[in-house]
Amino acid sequence: MSASSPAVALPSAPWLKALKRLNAVDIVLWALRIAVLLVIVAGTIGCVVKGRYTAAQWVDFVVFGLTIGSIYAQIALGYTMVYGVLRLINFAHGDFVMTGAFAGYFIAVPLDQSGFLQRQPVLAMAAILVVAIATSTSVALLTERIAYRPFRRVTGLAPLICAIGVSFFLQQTFRGMFGSAVKSYPEPQWQRAAFNVFGFNVPRIDVILIALALLFMLALYLIVHRTRMGTAMRAVAEDAEAAALMGIDVNKVIVFTFILGGAMAGIAGVFYAFLYKQVYFFMGFTPGIKAFGAAVLGGIGSIPGAMLGGFFLGLVESVGPALFLDGIGITAPYQLRDLIAFTLLIMVLIFRPHGLLGERLSKKRA
Amino acid sequence: MALLEIDDIHVFYDNIQALKGISLDVEANRIVTLVGGNGAGKSTTLRAISGLLHPRQGAIRYDGRPLAGLGAHDIAAMGLVHVPEGRRIFGRLTVDENLLMGAFTRRDRKAIAEDKERMMTLFPRLRERLRQVAGTLSGGEQQMVATARAMMARPRLLLMDEPSMGLAPMVVEQVFETIQAINAQGVTILLVEQNALMALTIADQGYVLESGEIVLSGPGRDLIDDERVRQAYLG
Ligand SMILES: Nc1ncnc2c1ncn2[C@@H]1O[C@H](COP(=O)(O)OP(=O)(O)OP(=O)(O)O)[C@@H](O)[C@H]1O
Ligand SMILES: [Mg+2]
Repeated sequence: MSASSPAVALPSAPWLKALKRLNAVDIVLWALRIAVLLVIVAGTIGCVVKGRYTAAQWVDFVVFGLTIGSIYAQIALGYTMVYGVLRLINFAHGDFVMTGAFAGYFIAVPLDQSGFLQRQPVLAMAAILVVAIATSTSVALLTERIAYRPFRRVTGLAPLICAIGVSFFLQQTFRGMFGSAVKSYPEPQWQRAAFNVFGFNVPRIDVILIALALLFMLALYLIVHRTRMGTAMRAVAEDAEAAALMGIDVNKVIVFTFILGGAMAGIAGVFYAFLYKQVYFFMGFTPGIKAFGAAVLGGIGSIPGAMLGGFFLGLVESVGPALFLDGIGITAPYQLRDLIAFTLLIMVLIFRPHGLLGERLSKKRA
Repeated sequence: MALLEIDDIHVFYDNIQALKGISLDVEANRIVTLVGGNGAGKSTTLRAISGLLHPRQGAIRYDGRPLAGLGAHDIAAMGLVHVPEGRRIFGRLTVDENLLMGAFTRRDRKAIAEDKERMMTLFPRLRERLRQVAGTLSGGEQQMVATARAMMARPRLLLMDEPSMGLAPMVVEQVFETIQAINAQGVTILLVEQNALMALTIADQGYVLESGEIVLSGPGRDLIDDERVRQAYLG
């Protein structure tokens, strides 16, 4: 029912009424908005005036932003799909990414040492990806079965806390098995070369990762929108009970969702590791939380939103330090790229909790 | 033996007892209706039959098979299909996708395509709106989608919870005509309605539910003439 009350004739002007309704929280929120806006504007102006960066550097920032953004987008898809069907924030999703990266590492190193990775890049990458996908999908399925299914009908914070527990469990298990040292990922020669695009040098690895990420996301999109199980997944996301009445086994759909999310996490793990050339047990945390932010930014539950949010976040954190922070005189702005990412996440949660394309992040629907 | 036999079921929501020992039979090929006021337990009865709720006591048998322990999706796959209260169509899916989900348990692509064609003959308006997102349809059209979606499962027994809810009188008339047409094709119907007069008019058998108990039953015509029913539900 409509909550609007009949208009009561007040003598004051509308803007005065609005002013009266303003409370302390509103003022703080507005101050926050203005402060962020000022930093962005002042930084951008400062940056333009100083002109410290060459066009080639800007191209670097944008390309790197798109690369890391494509990885965030793939991870964000896992968050958004699981949230869609379960209304659960799968806090362990970032660690699924880590398990994929580790599995890929253990196959990439021997392939690199034997020279196969250099000689047969396509076959070698396919093998690495298959192993990574198999691993993180298995971990995702085990997590669903053991940790999440018992909480299926539980409302409140318990499922979320359980998910955080799974996250720690996976991190510490991998630390126990493989130590806490950072292991360096192989870097075959063909990844190091650069393409020449309109006179700018673009790292080949970036182009490969973006292209593959787009390909995998297109495949995912087609699965979700063109197949019977994908349609069932969207039906369950909307109304699980009505879906069950149509003969859809909701458990199977949830398993299917974790398979898709796990596969994307495995791929993203390998890509992330090839981009940063390293793996370690805690590596899933930061991209995980950022991708969650990207999913919220795009509107959690929305698949196009997750992709959009991922690319947007990647671009902002890559271009942002040079564009906003350097201009206001902050030295070494790159160390603050995570600050930019998390500021963006917090701003989204405060000002636009339903994101760009999606529904409100809130309590489970009845 | 009746197609559906309900034997003394007791259903609870936590500690609130909603059904206090209900027994009823639905004979094959009939239209059976369950009438009663708000909160009488009509929806609860349907939800217990389709497996969304599990009775604490009593038994439900469909085609001679006890349904205890089966999930809602298993029961739907047996041809016992429930069109829930409020229609609950998938508003973000297209009409076409809604129909596809109705046929989820079936594999015979050709027969599914034929049934879709039949549904669009039964509801010509759906043909033009096949690619439209279902949430943007009018109430009457959404009811068509809900009915067509359920029919895509090739049900033997259709449970319908207040299909006329919120529709204009003209459209309500059409809904009841559709129900009779579906029944004429050999689908057994268990219809829940607040619109008791119309429901009893088309029903072979009626049950009157009051606070979780059946207080009256008999052929639809007889119930319309019953003094107590007249006073309570027909005004
Ligand atoms: N989810 C629930 N939790 C607790 N009590 C419920 C729940 N759903 C229904 N009830 C209670 O069970 C009783 C029967 O409800 P039910 O929905 O079956 O009634 P109904 O006959 O379908 O009514 P209406 O005509 O209003 O749809 C009511 O007293 C209702 O308050
Ligand atoms: Mg009801």
